[in-house]
Amino acid sequence: MTSYSSNLPAVKNKGIMVAIRRNIFGIIILAPAALYLAGFLLIILFKVVQLALTLTGPQGDLFPTAHHFVRLSKNPEFQGAFLRTVWFTLIGTPLELIIGMAAAFLVVGEFKGRGVIRSLMILPLAIPSIVTAIMLYIIFDFPGGHVNDLLMGRHAFFPFQVISHPLDWRGSGFFSLMVAMFGKVWRDMPISMLIILAGLQAIGKDQYEAAKTLGANAFQTFFRITLPLLTPAMATVLVLRSIEVWKEFIFPFILAGSYPLLATLIDQAYHEWRNPNEACAIAFILLVLIIMSTVLIFHVLKWLRRRLVRV
Amino acid sequence: MISTGIGIGKIRPTKAIWFAGIVLMLFVVLAPIFVMVKYSISDRLSVVTGGLPIPLWPYHPTMEQFQGLAAMDSFIMSAFASMKVALLSAVISLVMGTPAAYALVRYRFPGMMILATLLISVRLFPDIVSVVPIVETFIKLRLVNTLLGVAMAHALLSMPYVIFIAMGVFETIPRDLDEQAQILGASKWYSFTRIMLPVALPGLAAAAIYVFLLSWDEFILAYFLLAFGNVSTLPVLLQKILSWTPQHNLLAAISVMLSVPVIVFTFMVQKYMQTGATAGAVK
Repeated sequence: MTSYSSNLPAVKNKGIMVAIRRNIFGIIILAPAALYLAGFLLIILFKVVQLALTLTGPQGDLFPTAHHFVRLSKNPEFQGAFLRTVWFTLIGTPLELIIGMAAAFLVVGEFKGRGVIRSLMILPLAIPSIVTAIMLYIIFDFPGGHVNDLLMGRHAFFPFQVISHPLDWRGSGFFSLMVAMFGKVWRDMPISMLIILAGLQAIGKDQYEAAKTLGANAFQTFFRITLPLLTPAMATVLVLRSIEVWKEFIFPFILAGSYPLLATLIDQAYHEWRNPNEACAIAFILLVLIIMSTVLIFHVLKWLRRRLVRV
Repeated sequence: MISTGIGIGKIRPTKAIWFAGIVLMLFVVLAPIFVMVKYSISDRLSVVTGGLPIPLWPYHPTMEQFQGLAAMDSFIMSAFASMKVALLSAVISLVMGTPAAYALVRYRFPGMMILATLLISVRLFPDIVSVVPIVETFIKLRLVNTLLGVAMAHALLSMPYVIFIAMGVFETIPRDLDEQAQILGASKWYSFTRIMLPVALPGLAAAAIYVFLLSWDEFILAYFLLAFGNVSTLPVLLQKILSWTPQHNLLAAISVMLSVPVIVFTFMVQKYMQTGATAGAVK
């Protein structure tokens, strides 16, 4: 009896050794990629926390300290960027979903030339973000861009004067971020569309036929069948897009340089203020915000799904 | 009793709304692309109009911007730099990612699925958060302002995609194939490199194209890593030109050169991207 119990750890160890030996080839060929990714991730996380909590002074480094967070919280530029990021995300994320759903509903049916139209709808995915941002920079130029020309009614085909003076799109926080949001939504539309499309096509035809037989009208079919069964796809879009919108960099960087979001403030802190510690503190705050919002969206969606799907 | 309202010559209102929606959507999708092409072939007078509205089609379409690019040293150097970085990062991520994907598919080790999920979801980690730590680390390793540094950073982004796409490819190959090879005496390494890889090649080519493009149009990491050096990739060059002299037709011409390979190859690998998008792998 005693010998048995004392042997147990050895047996267990032997089992692990056997498992390792049997899978040794798999472990060896998995290791480089796993170590590369995990190594980078650990270095990144370690560095973000370390730099954000370190104050380099004449007497050497002070660690840990909340100095940078306190200083940032009193900095009006940070406060502005924080508020802008929050409303940018609050408007941008639902917009991404709505536009993606609209596109998916437009191309889900059978019609002539569907393949061509779907391919054209995917085009934004094939245009690099930086190119899209620069195109919007040109289109929304001041004073003589296409949009200003159009809104001032300077073209023969649209002779309505909506505005009397050209708008300086990059000169206002609201307009510049709206143009940036337009770029972001434009560029991401195909991805949201494809996810929603896959969700729509996964709904069985028999469900609709059953609803029709039972005398449901179009609205009932939509709200009682399509929408509830689409919630997983919508959840995927919302979670992925919210992360993307929180951390959006290229569009606000090119189009709203004077009105930074948190992501573009990281660039400003690093390159203009020459302060990698504050840059990392902002990055840390952004990371926490992203994690919190993802968890929140997850729970809200779970609750919503339970309300919507009544079996 | 029930009139459906569909008659010859009558158009159903829902159909009209649908048609208007398609037209609007296509217009919004195509307008920026049209503007890009239009500006790239614009002559000077169609860009600098001196107060007149900018024409919707250039007065005298010209290829002079593209001819100018062919003689522009910074463009040629950046194009080659972009290509080198993209190739290098594709090689790094494929060489490490493909075997890893094979291991994740074929070996059932405890915790394997969690590991696979973790490796793939590295993709969701915000690049703007990781960029300052990466630059600070690369400064110490003397990798800042080098193409190798950018390629290594891009490999970090693309490896999860390679693993994801390659896992999908290996899953479609029947397990019998490598088991039989091993029964016939092939080593595990031999059966992986000589039997599995050739069979998986078409799918892996799609992964290679995909990660090549990912690096080709990546801006954030390249911008931070090359900000104050004299090498730049094409996206970084675009941003530099924008901040020096926002010459619209030159910007548009470079944009076209940057976009054309992406457009061509995206349609080649569209099938794989579609499955990637639905699984949440494509960002």
